[in-house]
Order: sequence, then C-alpha cells, then structure tokens
Amino acid sequence: MAWKGDEERRGDADEAEEELDETDYKTQKDAVLFAIDVSGSMLQQPPASGQKQADTDSAVTAALKCAYRIMVQRIIAQPKDMMGILLFGTDKSKFRDEVGSRSSSGYPHCYLLTELDVPAAEDVKRLKAMVEEEDDSDGIFVPSEEPVLMSNVLFCANQVFTTNAANFGSRRLFIITDNDNPHGGNKDLKSSAAVRAKDLYDLGVLIELFPVSHKDKKFDLSKFYDDIIYRDPEADAGTSDEVKTSKSGDGLTLLNSLISNINSKQTPKRSYFSNLPFELAPGLTIGIKGYMPLHRQQPARTCYVWLGGEQAQLAQSEMSKVDSTTRTVEKSEIKKAYKFGGEYIYFKPEEAASLRDMGKKVLRVIGFKPRSMLPMWASVKKSIFIFPSEEHYVGSSRVFSALWQKLLNDEKIGLAWFIARENANPIMVAIIPSKNPDDEKSGTQALPAGLWLYPLPFADDVRSVELDAKVRRADHLTDKMREIVQNLQLPKACYDPLKYPNPSLQWHYKILQAMALEEEVPGSLDDPTIPKYRQIDKRVGGYMAELKEEVAEKARSLMATRALKREAAEADDEDRPVKRAKPAAAKKQSGSGMGNAQLKLATEQDTLKKMTVAELKDVLASRGLSTVGKKAELLEKLEQWLEDNA
Amino acid sequence: MADKEATVYIVDVGESMADCHNGRVESDLDFSMRYVWDKISTTVAASRKTWTVGVIGMNTDDTNNQQESEGYDGYHNISVLQEIGPMSMTSLMELRSMIKPSSSSGADAISAVVVALTMIDVYTKKLKYSRRIILVTNAESEIDDDEIDEVAGKLNESNVELVIIGVDFDDAKYGFKEEDKSAKKKRNESALEKLVSQCNNAVFGTMAQAVEELSIPRIKHMRPFKAYDGQLTLGDPSKYESALSIHVERYFKTKRAVAPPATTVVIKPDHGGAGPSQSTQTVDDDDDVHMGGTEFSGVKHIRSYKVNDPDAPGGKRDVDFDGLAKGYQYGRTVVPISESDFSVTKLETTKGFTIIGFVPFSSYEPFINMGETGIVVAQRQNEEAELSLSALIHALHEVESYAVARYVQKDGTQPQILLLKPNPGIEDSFECLYDVPLPFAEDVRSYQFPPLDKVLTVTGNVLTEHRLLPSVDLKEAMSDYVDAMDLSGFGVDDYGKPAEYAPIDELYNPVIHRMNQAIRARAVQPDAPVELPAEILLRFSQPPESLLKKAKREIHSLIGTAEVKKVPAKAQGKRGRKDTTKPLSGLDIDSLLGQSRRTKTISPENAIPEFRQILATAEDDATVESAAKQMGEIVRKLITDSFADLKYAQAAENLRVMRNELISLELPAVYEKFVRALKKSILTGELGGDRREMWFRHIVAGKLGLVTAEESEVSTVTVEEAAAFARP
Repeated sequence: MAWKGDEERRGDADEAEEELDETDYKTQKDAVLFAIDVSGSMLQQPPASGQKQADTDSAVTAALKCAYRIMVQRIIAQPKDMMGILLFGTDKSKFRDEVGSRSSSGYPHCYLLTELDVPAAEDVKRLKAMVEEEDDSDGIFVPSEEPVLMSNVLFCANQVFTTNAANFGSRRLFIITDNDNPHGGNKDLKSSAAVRAKDLYDLGVLIELFPVSHKDKKFDLSKFYDDIIYRDPEADAGTSDEVKTSKSGDGLTLLNSLISNINSKQTPKRSYFSNLPFELAPGLTIGIKGYMPLHRQQPARTCYVWLGGEQAQLAQSEMSKVDSTTRTVEKSEIKKAYKFGGEYIYFKPEEAASLRDMGKKVLRVIGFKPRSMLPMWASVKKSIFIFPSEEHYVGSSRVFSALWQKLLNDEKIGLAWFIARENANPIMVAIIPSKNPDDEKSGTQALPAGLWLYPLPFADDVRSVELDAKVRRADHLTDKMREIVQNLQLPKACYDPLKYPNPSLQWHYKILQAMALEEEVPGSLDDPTIPKYRQIDKRVGGYMAELKEEVAEKARSLMATRALKREAAEADDEDRPVKRAKPAAAKKQSGSGMGNAQLKLATEQDTLKKMTVAELKDVLASRGLSTVGKKAELLEKLEQWLEDNA
Repeated sequence: MADKEATVYIVDVGESMADCHNGRVESDLDFSMRYVWDKISTTVAASRKTWTVGVIGMNTDDTNNQQESEGYDGYHNISVLQEIGPMSMTSLMELRSMIKPSSSSGADAISAVVVALTMIDVYTKKLKYSRRIILVTNAESEIDDDEIDEVAGKLNESNVELVIIGVDFDDAKYGFKEEDKSAKKKRNESALEKLVSQCNNAVFGTMAQAVEELSIPRIKHMRPFKAYDGQLTLGDPSKYESALSIHVERYFKTKRAVAPPATTVVIKPDHGGAGPSQSTQTVDDDDDVHMGGTEFSGVKHIRSYKVNDPDAPGGKRDVDFDGLAKGYQYGRTVVPISESDFSVTKLETTKGFTIIGFVPFSSYEPFINMGETGIVVAQRQNEEAELSLSALIHALHEVESYAVARYVQKDGTQPQILLLKPNPGIEDSFECLYDVPLPFAEDVRSYQFPPLDKVLTVTGNVLTEHRLLPSVDLKEAMSDYVDAMDLSGFGVDDYGKPAEYAPIDELYNPVIHRMNQAIRARAVQPDAPVELPAEILLRFSQPPESLLKKAKREIHSLIGTAEVKKVPAKAQGKRGRKDTTKPLSGLDIDSLLGQSRRTKTISPENAIPEFRQILATAEDDATVESAAKQMGEIVRKLITDSFADLKYAQAAENLRVMRNELISLELPAVYEKFVRALKKSILTGELGGDRREMWFRHIVAGKLGLVTAEESEVSTVTVEEAAAFARP
C-alpha cells in the first residue's frame, strides 16, 4: 500500500495505460530519528492542577507517546520508511551491541532505544509497554549527573543514519528538548556541537527542533540551536523558519501540542513532479512542482511467508519472463502487440513510442471559465496540488500568486492541457484555487492553499445513463424534508476528512497489530463513519415520521392515477384496429417499459415464461441486472428480482 | 451487452471506381474503402460473435448470387464476397485481396440491395437483430427504378436500415454539389434517393462527408451498470421507527475509459519448436501470432522465491513456492496467516447506503473528490421512493446543501464516504443525486506550504510586498488576462450561437482514439506507416488562435509586468550553495572546521561530511584527488567487509556523493579512473568474494557508472560507452 507500488501487482499486469502515479517517480524513502532529551526537567511530572483534563505526562512521556503514535501511524501510511528513537542525557548508555553503564560507550549518555529501521512488531510492543504501563524495568529514564555532550548526540545520530539509512532521499533528526542552552557559556563544547551539526548537514540529514517549554519560559533559539539548525535547501521559497514550541495549557495537553507540531512535519513532503513548465500564456512560462496531498490508502497486499526457519521470514520474489520454450527472454526482445479480432497487431518499438507521444510534458492554459461551468458530475480521479518553484523561472511565485488570487476572487477556473511527464498520457484539467487553511470560510482546512489540477472526464469516460427520472416540482414534501436537512448539519458545517478514519484500513491494521504483538484480537471497531443514529432520531425523528406519513398518502394517490392512465392507454391499444400485428413494436413496449406492477401480475398469472429471450433481456437490462444466461436462468433472475423488490 | 447486428456492405468495384475524380489523387474505390474499412475494422476490433458482417461486390467480373442462380434477370455482375458471419482478422485479410477494381460495369444497385436483403432475411430469420445494408457506389452503372416501391416495402417489412453513401453525390445540407455531373449519374442518384426516401429507416449521404467524419472519435457506448439497488436511509430502520428509507438505484455516471491493452510477446526463436503452449495472462491459448511474416510467441512470467540464509552463498537461497504461507507485513514483521483465518483482517460490512449528515455547498471544493461519479435515482415504479427522493433532492437544492453518506456497495466491501449532490433537473430535466467519493483521514497528507499572499520573515514579521508576491500592477494584468481569455461564450453551438468552448462532450481521450485509429489502420494495411494523430484529438492542446489574437494586448502586458526570467541551465545546479551552508545564526562553520580538522584525512565513519568539507575548501586538484582516493579506499573496504549485502547501500551512497561532487568540480575523469578499477576488482572477486550484486543492484541500477558527456561537459564518454561499461 501507500507509497511504493507493489511489484507483485505491477509485474503481472500488462497494462497499456500505465497508471501515472507516484510509484513511477523517484522512490524517495524517509528515515526519521527521534532524539529525546532525558533530563530532570523533562522527566518532571506537571504539578497537579486538580482540573479534569489536566496534564499528567512528563515531557519525556509525552514525547514517547507521541513517538509511539507516529510509529503506529507510519506502519500504516509509510510502511517502507524507517524510524528510530535515541534518548540522550541518560545515565545509561547504549549504542547497538555495546552497552555501558556509564561512559564506557563510544557515545556516553546516549541511549539508542529503537534502532533506525522499518519498525518491527517488537519495537511497537516495547514502546507501547513503556508509554502505557510506564514500564522502565531497564532503568533507562534516569538522568545522568554529568551533562551530555551535544556533539556526541549529533555524531551518534550521524552514525545511525550513515549505516542504517545510507541511501535514503529524506533523512531527518527530530530533537525534542526543553533545554535551550545545554552547554551554557562553554564555547568549545558549543563549537564542537556546531561542527557535528555541519557534518549532519553535509551528510544530508535535516535537523528539526521541537522545543518544549514549561510554564511560560521562552525557549531561546539564539543561545544554542541557531548554530545547529540549517535552512532546508529543498524548502519552497518563502517558507518561514519558525520553530513552534510545544507546551501544555490552553486546554491542550503537552502531548497534543507535541503531536500537532510533529505531525505537521512528520510526513516527508514528496513531490509528484518537479520543474514542470506551466505555460500560462504564449511567451509566459513559470515553474511548478506537483504534490498529491490526497491519495487513497489501501490495506497492504498479501505477501508470501517462509516458515521453514526459526522466525517467519518474508519470501522475496524474483520474476523472470520466459517464452514458449521456457527460455528466459531479455528485456530488449520484448515487443508489444494488440489484440484485434482474435489476432494480434504489432507495432515496432519506435512506432509504439510515437503512438504514445502527444507532446512534451507541460501544463498549458487553454483559457478560463466561470466556476459554475464545471458540471457537478464531472469527476474521475483525485486532483494534484501545484505550487510555484523559483528554481527554473525566477518570478514564478508572484505570477502564480496573482493567478491564484484572481481565480479565487472571481470564482473562475482555468482549463488546461496537462502532460505530467514525458510519455505520460495527456489529460484535460480544470485549475481550481484552494482557500487559505486559516480562512474560516474554507471547508478544506486540512489542505494547503494553492492551485489544484482537477482532472476532467473525457467524453469517453462519461456513461450515458438513460434512466427515467422525471422532474417533479418542489412541494409540501420538500418543505418537510428541508427541516430534516437543516437540523442535521455535520459539526462545523463541513466534512472534515480527519474526523473519519477509514474503517476497513483501521480494522486491518488493528487486527494485524494484535496478531503481530500476540495480543488479544479486538472484537469491534470504533467507527465514526457510522451515523449517530440516536441523535438523528432525537433531532429529526418527528419530522421524518410526518414526512413518511405524507409520502405514503401521496404515493397511494399517485399510484391510483397511474393505474388509471395505464388502463386508458391499454384500452386505447385494444381499440386500435389490429392492422398488422407487428409483434416487434408491441412487444417492445411490454419489454423495458413493462412496469413492476405488470410484471408482478404476470408472475401471478404465470405468464412470465411466455416472454421471449429478447424481451426478458430487455426487462432485466432495464433493471440493471445481468442478461447472461439461458432462458430458464433469465426467468429465474427476473422472478428473484421481483420477489426481492416486492 | 449489445444487441446482435447483421450488416451487409455492398461495394461498387466497377471499372469506373478505379478512376479519380474531383481533384482527388485516390481512386473512387480507395476513397470509398476508407469509409468501409474503417467500419468493418471497428467491427473486427470489437470481436463480438454477434456482430456479423456480409459483403457483396457490385460490378464484379463474375456473378455469384442466389437470385442469379435461381434464374432471375438483372442480377448479373453481383457477387457475394463474404456470407454473413462474424468478422475476424483472417476474413478481413481475405476480403482485402478481393476488393479491387474490376473491368466490368452495368450491375444494378437496387438488385444488389435485394441480394443483401435476402441474405439478411435468411441469416437473421425472425430473431432480434439490428439489420443494416450499407451501399457505397459512384452510381455510374444503370439502375432500373421500376421496383423501388416494392424493395422499399420489403426493407421496411424486414426492419432493415439502408445507408447509401455515394461518391460525389450532391448533398445540399453538407454543402456539396458536383458541377459536371453526367446525366446518367444524376438519374441514378435520384433513383437511389427515391429508394431511401421510401424507407422508414435510411440514410443518404455523400462520401466526402462520411470520410471526413471518420476522424471524429466514436465513443464506445456502455450500458449503464447498476452498482447498487437498495435502501438509502436516514437513521437506522432496524432500531428506530422514525428512520427514513428510500429505495434507490445507483449507476456509474463516469468511469475512466482505458486504451486498448497491449500484450507482451517475443519473436519466436525457432519455428519448429512444438513445445507446450504457454501464454501470458492476456493471451488466450493461441500464443503464436503471425504478423507481417514474423511469428510471435507469448511471454510467461515465472516467479521464484528467495529467503535470507546466512549459510547460503550470497546470503540467500531459493525456497519452494508450495511451502510458503500467505501473510501480511506489519512494519518489518511478517505475520503469517493461515488460509482459514485469512478473512480476519477484513472488516465485516453489510450492504447499505446511509446518510451521516448534511453540509452547505460552500464548504465543499471539487478538488477533494477522490474519483468517479455515481448517479442515484429512485427505484422504478416505486411511487414512495420517487416522492421521497424527489423531496430530498429539492430540499437539498433549496437549502444549498449536500448530503454526506456512508456507502457499502455489497456485503463485505469497504465502506466509502460519498457526497450526494442534488440535481433537480433544471438544465437537463433529469432529477437525481450525483455522488462523488470523499477522502478518509488516512488519505490526507498534511503537507506544509508557505502562504501565497504574504511572506513571513524569520523574526515573525508579515510582509505583503516582496519579490515573491505580485505587485498591484501584476495582479491587474493577470486579472485582465484571465478575463480576456474567457471561454464561456467562445464556442459555437449547433445553431451558430455562442456557447461554452471545450465542453466535456467534445473532449476526446487522445491516446485511446489514436491507438484505436492506428490499430485499425494497421489491421487493414499492415505495411503502411503509422499516421499522425487526427487534428481533432489535439484540438485542445493549445489555446484557440483567434482568442489569443483577441487577447494579444493583455498577454503582452502580463508578460511585461510579470518579469519572469528563465534561470540558465548551468546556474541551476550550483545555485545558492554558498549561502545555505551556514546555520540560522550565520556562524562561520568553515573557520571552526579549519581549527578542528586540519588534517586532510577522511575517517571511514564520517566519510561523506569530511569528503565534502575537504572538497569545499580544496585549493588544488591534488587535494581533491587525494580525497577521492581515500574515499575510494573506504568504498572498497565497505564492500570487502560487507556481510552479504549489508554495507552495499552505504558504499553506494559514498560513491554517489563522490561522483556528484567530482562532476560539479568538473573532474569526472578522477571518478572514471576509480570506478573502472572498482569494476575490475568486483568482477574478479578481489573484494571478498562474489560482489556482483553490488555491481548490478547498486552501481548499475543506481546509475553510478561512467560520467557521460551529457552529465558533464568535460567528459568525453558517450552514452553508448557508459552503457557498454555497465555490462559485465
């Protein structure tokens, strides 16, 4: 699931239209190492305030809880990414196999709690025990008497990244501490820490600081951390370097504050494409990057497990392609052919390539339309978020911002031709602006402000649905229904996706986690997507009862008028001189046009089986049922349907 | 499920069809066959057994038809070239060899229609078919119009559609008139037109129009698929009496169409091989394909499974597939699950469609849609459902709200959240709810971006004027430009009135239609080169010329105020390196480094930072070369010491840094020298055994081979040389 496509799936499927997804892009893996300061003040429990929802967690506990949640979250969302936890300032020291009680380790007072790796079930289990049962049987959470050297902490992190996540595209060190001045006035210690920080920078590791402040003491970056932290060279132009301090108070626990701060940085920002030329007008091109802030997460696919060893082990599969004589074929020999009338049409590789070639990668504006011209049904797939990049075109940001503001203010959308990369299939997109997340009127506060490429359906993607759905006028029933609608608004009058976790996904991982940790399998799931039935009954139950009564009454009279009309029509038919009994025409009417009532009558009179196969198929098709099978099967299907819908 | 079809094509192959007319360089026959081949190959492409085709040649040198053999007059020079039946590639090929100009003339087109009609009557009996006769001719051979009434009557009786497409026929509607038309042709044309006018279901047209319309993509019609048939509820009817339930049906409104799938084949190695038939998943049992004299054979995928085994050579060994269990991964832990337990991780769900609550229109943005649209209508012939759903649609419309619902298509499927939008049918007189899927919490990734309308400084100040922000002038120029490029009334509707430009029903998927076009063309003429895509497919790849002309002033002014400058290619790579190497405080780290690391030796455990730092301050090539040499030794040692592949990634990362740094210092030769030696050492097993995996998976796959001239201007290595180097 998630980021990297499953090779198993990709291997077998011979899809002509290669789904353009991030799987095709650089597999930028992410590694995050939490470095948590274990000092006296970090371990101190907050004073009892007597309030109901008061904070009871020490900063260390909050940080570990946060790490635990993020670990569980990452297993679901980023199953290939690594995470580790390093404690510093501990009395004990531990680095890989070398364990020392005091300063025998190479990194004194650094305790590598969880090795940087894709988390395993034991890691989760251990961390869970620590945060839930406050299990410290190893006596780790004892602060050292002498101060820890920050240069050692940073070098320890350096070693962890160098060996475990050598070729990861994204490597980050999250430092959680409440000490803004670990080395006081000692210049030498500060300098050597700064040098180790530079090493990390040169190694390609980004340091993110999550300061914790107690009471209202300010965390002063200039005392130490300004020498440690570097600007992210990949960051978008205009990004502020603001470091958010976590604290308890304002009804927010330290844990929540920490989680919100860390979560905002937790997901590595991976671009879907970069440096795409955005041709706003002939002669005006700016640079943009594309992102996928929305992406359907699916439960992981199954894998094959080898149980022959001491531990269950993943069996890695290797695929080879063979021809009819089971000779392994080279990639260069493989050709593409198309099935056509039971045979194959073949194109030379260069011809096949030219067939797919619809021009260079580009986002090209064709013009603009009022937003109201986007039909409400015109949706086929998720949208892509774009943001300006100054890398190739200086001035991109201001032009982009001007366009964004114009589209937002005048409720307009752009129409554009879009090829995400060389050889990708072109699509037409609407360019739609999103409001600022801090705009109270924005219904999409979870999403950033910028422009979105909204894929438009092609005419080929639109199904013609020829259904009979006559327009009625609004009437008294509408008024009744309006009361119901007005009284059942969702909280904050918007759909906030963050409030609705995917029940299938949650269940899958919950069970899997229980199995992996050898815990008891949970019996049920708390599923917020299930409506609050009691509340619905309480709030609009009365209105609904009234509505139902009225509907029933109206339906009866409607049914009566219809029956009359039908009889009249049938009488008409009979009156007409039967000149040439054209069976086709008459039957056609009785086919798809045949009402449920007529069919029911036919069942009762046992005349259904007099219908021809073609008529049966018509009737079935008009009800959306499968029309495959022999006459007896078709009859059975129809009878079943009539029974179900009686 | 499409209806059965029986179509008979009557193709005039008379000697006059070999001539070119009206300035065309292709013969009338070739011109006509463009239309016919396109039609027939479309049928072949569908490969439906129930879509049957028959072909009659008119003005053939021989005569071969039932009427003639039964002794009727007036049926000479009409031959049945193909009896009605399913169309295959083989029959297409056979047909192709038969359609060529004859040296005859004088066959009666109306007689040919009678032959076709008889064929259809015999073949379709009284069964449900859509019957069609398509006649293409240049009307140069005499028509006996005595029996037109009778023939029309028979066509109507058999419910046959007649399509007559004539070469250079006059068509006032299309706007074509042949000026120097012969009296004979004129007479024949009007006879055919008379026939058509007497038929209930008939088309009369000119070939030029038919051929022109070929490039208009034909959209594959799909029957509506019912995804859901059941209750739409508000509240829980099983627990609360008040709960509302409406019996609805849900269909797909949009479904992404895909290009025809390709099959993987290889050229058959030897033609005698009678081995067991194998095929890919998409190839059926017939895996040998003949095409243009080449034989192809299907490709099969064979999978082998390996596990880590410290005792095995290379650290891995093969395991038997049959001995493997299925399972899932939880982080790096694998959780085997027995076959009987397999569904435990699947959430049990029951089919249902229930409203969670309502949200105002204003809170929704289309870009949060996750996919395809559905359409919800009341169950047919169910008055209560009709009334209730209609009330819901109108109420939602009036209070400008959408409904949010939880949808489970059938028992056991994953729940989805759908947004239900009311369509009271004001524009399309079709009353329904449209639905689109919404994201779940897990589907949203919180990416942070700086604001677009202000700049925050390090000190927390908010700036509203900045080089990253548009000036008032730029905003104005942009506004004028966007207004000038308005498409809402730029198009033209069927009545010549202004209409929306590029509405969805004119947007054709270029790839699908291009592929279909090319495949059909190749099927008919395997040797012809691939044609360029039809113009209509690329129509919306550019803004319309005339609109650009109109907006010329606004475009010019926008470009002027935007002042966008392209960054020269060379500057992109190294841009800004100098200013970013300082921490936030601006502390001069280099001087600190100068104090603590005066020696120019690189320690293996901190190799990358130290290597970079030495290079950043290196004043001569000798220092660089010495650093590169040390780095090289570290790489070789990592490989040598690596247990199985444990340290390969680290070695590769060191190589990558070394390569990139040497490229930016324009010293690719230093890297080349090293990597050549490394290759030799790896392949000769000098570095502690079989290290070929390091070579293939890390150096070759990681693109860490020779530096080509494309990557560095000072390199003389060609792409071919680099590719050759990658091979062992």
